[in-house]
Amino acid sequence: MTEVGIKLAFSLAQIAVVMGIVLLTVMILTLAERKVLGWMQDRMGPMEVGPYGILQPIADGLKLFFKEDIVPAGASKFLFSLAPILALVPALIGFAVIPFGPNKTIELFGYQFQPFVISDINIGILYILAFTSIGAYGIILGGWSSNNKYSLLGGLRAAAQVISYELNVGLAIVGVLLLAGSLSLVKITEAQSGGFWHWYVFAFPFPQIFAFVVYVISSVAETNRLPFDLPEAESELVAGFFTEYSGMRFAFFFLAEYANMILVSCIAAALFLGGWNAPYPGTLVERLGLEGLAWVEGVVWFAAKVYFFLFLFFWLRATLPRLRYDQLMRFGWKVMLPIALGNILVTAIAAYLFPR
Amino acid sequence: MTQSFKNWLKTIIFYEILVGMKATLSHLLHYRPITLQYPHEKRTLPDSYRGMLALLRYDDGTEKCVGCDLCEAACPSRVIKVFSAEVPGEPTKRFAKEYYMDMTRCLFCGMCVDACPVDALGMTREFEWAVYDKRQLRLNKDQLLAIGDRAYPVREKRLEFQHPNVAFFNVAFKNLPEKES
Repeated sequence: MTEVGIKLAFSLAQIAVVMGIVLLTVMILTLAERKVLGWMQDRMGPMEVGPYGILQPIADGLKLFFKEDIVPAGASKFLFSLAPILALVPALIGFAVIPFGPNKTIELFGYQFQPFVISDINIGILYILAFTSIGAYGIILGGWSSNNKYSLLGGLRAAAQVISYELNVGLAIVGVLLLAGSLSLVKITEAQSGGFWHWYVFAFPFPQIFAFVVYVISSVAETNRLPFDLPEAESELVAGFFTEYSGMRFAFFFLAEYANMILVSCIAAALFLGGWNAPYPGTLVERLGLEGLAWVEGVVWFAAKVYFFLFLFFWLRATLPRLRYDQLMRFGWKVMLPIALGNILVTAIAAYLFPR
Repeated sequence: MTQSFKNWLKTIIFYEILVGMKATLSHLLHYRPITLQYPHEKRTLPDSYRGMLALLRYDDGTEKCVGCDLCEAACPSRVIKVFSAEVPGEPTKRFAKEYYMDMTRCLFCGMCVDACPVDALGMTREFEWAVYDKRQLRLNKDQLLAIGDRAYPVREKRLEFQHPNVAFFNVAFKNLPEKES
């Protein structure tokens, strides 16, 4: 009983910390996106709330919290309320298997715990793929239940887009899985330790650079970000699937989008760029003689990689116009899919010829 | 052959997209915003800026307006309404008993100012006239005079207007008689 209690308490504390960090990152992202986008377009971004606008996310949150919660006439009430939750929960639940720092165990009250991953299950990446697919239901149901043409069109687009590009994400990952021989994100990350030439983007026997490019493009499409933001295309569909949403329900969709961004960035960092491994063998802190603080460097490297991807999202958004719908589909099925399949073929042969 | 190979290579490495991303990144690195933080810093207005309309007074405080209705006739959007009347006790002189101006429809074209024979109207440099109630933008004579008072605190005539022919009537700028050299 006490064992279960202690483990449960530790897990809950871990979950609270991870959720706190994720939501804090979302807050930072909403500001950072507007700032970076503004700077890239010779504007200033938000400047009013607080010095240089740094309190803007808090003001936005308060505003959304006090907004009127409108359910449009003719909407399917149950699904209308369910959709934002269905979008947000899968986005947040994926963080359960992300390793944020070195895979070490600490002993607490005589039990072993892994502090930097909530649960190291052996099908980690499969679990994330499965749950992010459920997130698409939130978008589709939100679009359908609003009783609005534009929402429905946005939802339908999201359905087609997420299905097409999720396939590419899955296939791009397969190459890494072949090389690592595991589905656990912790094991995959550990297999990439010892310098950047061991990261799977560059690794022998076959660098996963094509898979990496396919993964990044497909993950941008999967999170419905520009240039693939057809489900919410504001110049065509008002706001797409969340046209009718307001207040906290809108905030849920918003949170889900940004949490999904962080999630795909975490996966990209863990699978292709070595996760918490530094680009040189070992860690600098260890060499300075502070073995106990080596995890700090790992966490910092992981955060740096994740933030690089998040910056890439903003950067793409500032640069590229939206694709047309047929271009999106053609690009997904006729370009990305063959590349991903070819990558699997070559990687499989390479992994067979040069077994680890 | 080499050209088509080059084009193919450019396509597969997303060359055009990389060029665009380089452009946005260079804007980020050489950050020079063109934004003016409006309520905190205001732009310098050009010299001929036409803002809020105002009724003016002479130096001694009497109204310049003689109630001739020419501004009403000149106004392209029929914003101005003048009700002319005799000055009590002085049957030869007239003045504007009431003067209304509907700011919501004003074009700020300045034709009323040009039309005025006694230079009783002026365009000020005020433009911040946001109000909660639209009806507050229908201005009467007192309000227009007040705008004139705060926009032109010094009513001294400028040197170029000090001409014998414009001693009494301040004729509009463009119909100014030749100055004696």
